[in-house]
Amino acid sequence: MNLWNLIRHITLKHFLLRKTQMFMAAAGICLGVTAIVSIGVVNKSVLYSFEDSFNRVTGKAKLQITGAQSGFPETLVEKVQAVQGVEYAVPVIETDGMLVSGKERSIMILGVDVLVDTQVRDYSLSGDSADVPDPLLFLAKPDSILVTKTMADREGFVLDQKIQVQTVDGIKNLRIRGILNPEGPAKAMGGNMAMMDIYAAQMAFGKNGRIDRIDVSLREGEDLETVRQAIVDALPQGYMVDTPAGRTKQVEEMIARFQKGLDLISYLSIFVGMYLIYNAVSISVVNRRKEIGILRALGCLRRDIILLFLGEILIISVIASGIGVGLGLLAADSLVSAFGKVISEVYVRTSVSGIHFTWFYPLLGLACGIIASLMAAFFPARASSFISPVSAIRSVPYAEEKFFTTKRLNIAGVLSLMFSSVIFAMYKFIGDSPLTKDVTLLIIAQLMVAVGVSFFTPAFLKGFVFVFNRFFASGFGTAGRLAGLSLQKNLIRNSVAVAAVFFGISVFVASVGFTHSIKQSVVKWLDSMIIGDIIVTSGHPGSSANAHIIPMPVEMAEQLKKVPGVKRVAPWRRIFMQYNGRRVLLSAASLARYPGFRNDETHQAANRTSNQKKDRVVVSEPFAAIFKVKKGDVITLPTPAGPVKFDVAGIVIDYSSDAGVIAMDIPTYQRHWNDMLCNSFFLAVHPGANVKEVCAEIQRSFGVERKLYVLSSLEFKEEIHKILDDEFFFNYALNTVTLMIACLGIIVALLASVMERIREIGTLRAIGTLRRQIYGIIILESILMGVAGGILGSVAGIFAGWVSLEGFFSANYGSAAQYHLPWSSIIMILCLSAGLAALSGVIPAQKAAKTNIVEALSYE
Amino acid sequence: MIEVQNVNKIYHQGEQEICALRDVSLKIEKGNFLSIMGPSGSGKSTLLHLIGGLDQPTSGKIFVDGQPIHGISDNQLTLIRRKRVGFIFQFFNLLPILNALENVSLPLLLDGIPLSRIRERAVHLLERVGLGSRIDHRPEQLSGGEMQRVAIARALITDPAVLLADEPTGNLDSHISEDILALLKSLNQAGQTIVMVTHDPKAASYGKRVIRLKDGSITEDISFSENVA
Repeated sequence: MNLWNLIRHITLKHFLLRKTQMFMAAAGICLGVTAIVSIGVVNKSVLYSFEDSFNRVTGKAKLQITGAQSGFPETLVEKVQAVQGVEYAVPVIETDGMLVSGKERSIMILGVDVLVDTQVRDYSLSGDSADVPDPLLFLAKPDSILVTKTMADREGFVLDQKIQVQTVDGIKNLRIRGILNPEGPAKAMGGNMAMMDIYAAQMAFGKNGRIDRIDVSLREGEDLETVRQAIVDALPQGYMVDTPAGRTKQVEEMIARFQKGLDLISYLSIFVGMYLIYNAVSISVVNRRKEIGILRALGCLRRDIILLFLGEILIISVIASGIGVGLGLLAADSLVSAFGKVISEVYVRTSVSGIHFTWFYPLLGLACGIIASLMAAFFPARASSFISPVSAIRSVPYAEEKFFTTKRLNIAGVLSLMFSSVIFAMYKFIGDSPLTKDVTLLIIAQLMVAVGVSFFTPAFLKGFVFVFNRFFASGFGTAGRLAGLSLQKNLIRNSVAVAAVFFGISVFVASVGFTHSIKQSVVKWLDSMIIGDIIVTSGHPGSSANAHIIPMPVEMAEQLKKVPGVKRVAPWRRIFMQYNGRRVLLSAASLARYPGFRNDETHQAANRTSNQKKDRVVVSEPFAAIFKVKKGDVITLPTPAGPVKFDVAGIVIDYSSDAGVIAMDIPTYQRHWNDMLCNSFFLAVHPGANVKEVCAEIQRSFGVERKLYVLSSLEFKEEIHKILDDEFFFNYALNTVTLMIACLGIIVALLASVMERIREIGTLRAIGTLRRQIYGIIILESILMGVAGGILGSVAGIFAGWVSLEGFFSANYGSAAQYHLPWSSIIMILCLSAGLAALSGVIPAQKAAKTNIVEALSYE
Repeated sequence: MIEVQNVNKIYHQGEQEICALRDVSLKIEKGNFLSIMGPSGSGKSTLLHLIGGLDQPTSGKIFVDGQPIHGISDNQLTLIRRKRVGFIFQFFNLLPILNALENVSLPLLLDGIPLSRIRERAVHLLERVGLGSRIDHRPEQLSGGEMQRVAIARALITDPAVLLADEPTGNLDSHISEDILALLKSLNQAGQTIVMVTHDPKAASYGKRVIRLKDGSITEDISFSENVA
């Protein structure tokens, strides 16, 4: 009950008296929780949406057989049907089409065998089309298509209407023969799907004789695993036979890295919030030292003092986290569509219409906010309980108690940095070990860099003030000299404020540096990969997930070559395939396009011996890391014709897919995969030809028969940069949250630092310091602390960002990226830090300048 | 009864050792009013802090009503301060965020007793020190003398075995000082044991016994048959 009395009679009054400080500490935690909840809910919603669509399309199938994106022979259906225990083996085409009219929306096309498909999927037609489709009519007319009611309502489609859909063979006119009720598969992808007969779909999407998937239902009482193994044994190598849940898990794993990166930044923001709480409580302890002394003298136990501060933080954190949860849900609701778009462009097709609410993330956010706040408050709260009642009630200055000494802090700093160096070295040099499989330890190492450097704050501040006093102080007149002197004489106290400024900035700079470096590395790589003057695609030009690309027949190259001004045409095919149970990207173009490999080519050719007749591939760094492949190894890839061995001719940088990339020359691909489609063409024009005119001519040539995106390489790069910006939007948004928390930290720290010096200011006024000079001293001191914290934070942030990139990125993505200094962000944060510091100094300076000398001196 | 046996107190200031009390022994009978006098740095406040359990002796023993307050845990010491000792400080040491009633109630609030159950006793004590009409005022709304009266009422709320006053009039003018000292005297006459540190001989004369300290040792111990003032 002690605690209740303390909270009721002391805490609540402090809340009323220190509204600004309380509000800012609460806002820091609130923003951190907002970040965690919004990212968590958005991540979950995208996965839920994907799972929901997936399950709807899967229907009653217990197993699914998939191969490469290019499809596999439909003859395999019979093999699977013949396996003991299989009830129905149903072939499926699942591909993308694009509505040419209206908003040019990308839709999922499901090609099914209408005679057997109802054995695994349930769908019904709306009242208007109840008598159609007659299956025979549907089969007899290959232009038949069924659209969902959702799509029909949105696009204004009616029964029997002709619609134009972009297919592999160009624009096709299809007739709506039925409208599907919004249930079962018709609700998949937010209703953004259509159904065709499998044969018609094969024709339209260039998959003659091939299918994308076989859905399998089991006879009653059959053991799932036994049947699965029997199917695996019946099929050639390279096919994935998995349960729908297993396939969903694969996709979850695929986007897990992207989500993990965002999670990491959102947790960093709460860590900055923790430091803000730590700082607010530390300042509160310093300010309320006398109160603590009195309470201790009157018989308040140490435990009760700790509980008093923790109780205060508990109240603040519960309110702040509660508001954070609400804001997080609101933010998630407005961000989820954009996030789904990024996932669709980069990873896998999905359609997210709204957030999927579960209690997990709100409760997680609440728990994180409260636990992080209590953890942050514990150490200063514990330190407060050791305040000697005698010295506190006698008002012995805080620093005299020697809670902190520069020597001890330096030792703590060295130990922290040594700790993080050991962890970093472990990741860098030990390589694959159980400890280094998880990046949590590395994140701790990154934070320890920031914590470690913060211990050197007094030492750094000493040097900083020395330089200021020596070279700059006189330039600011009396205010400059007195401000420098004040900083020098109250080193430990001012270091607390500088450390608070430092910490937020270091985390921000580290996070921005990490994001900026990855983006720059990807941009640099992309720029080097784009060869030629013009790029032609028939879908979203930058979609790396292939979700919005309609492949084109490779023979289009001949037509393109005929366009005046075109000198050379190079096709590029990209498909996803299964390799050793994982989804990897197969990129077929020209191996010479990889800069690292290009330089090595001559040397390689010279060393090729006559018995090395195998076809060559190069693999990306993540692929090499995941599958433990080295240059010179041989890998076996599943092709539609069976397993084929390939020489690994090089390990290259390729950021197209963090799941791993296998690249080969396009003739090699066509030979083994028997796939004569491509995703894009890279065109070189004759010297002197006008690129824009050539682009326009291509559009004119294909305009009626095919919807094409024809971009100059410059426009293409701009498009890619835009997609990258979209992809990094969430990182930047989270960095902004971290920045806002850091700014709150700067204001809280400096405001409190000046407010506690009212008595000292009274003394200065008493001995004849002008109001104007007081104003100058306080603001200048504030700015100096802001700049000192900014410089130290930027240096530590650069280092921590580099550690993150070298460790986290390499460990998590298996790929190297070069560190790029985020100059503009660093300059911005330094200016912001100085500006906010000046702002934080204004109110106390006004108050100090107006201080009644007698009152200030009789403060006791 | 308070008994101090061969108490030494040494402080460390950097490399330097400062001996605040040297082999001090003293007995204070129940119902006594002891004034401790001496120049600055003589160790009088240190002695008061040791008797009150605010600090621990470097060596020696201290008993309050036969209960040792040396060599015990911080929690035990804190509970003794809360229940057995009342403090009055030179600078009042009231909590500025609490009003007079709450400040007076604070030691019992720390014991977990709700304000509603303390209120009557706290009001009674404030009336006894002449502040019955100021119970809702915060320290900043009170004069120095009034603040010290609130501090006295706070010290009395737990019905302590001893009232320890550290220069209670050091921050007050002479007229108000006399009122405060008269109040302390009346409390002593009602049976309250009081130990007061002062450098003012006139204030000391309100006690029944005076000891003088110099360089950490008792140099003089005078008892009066009854209060002089």
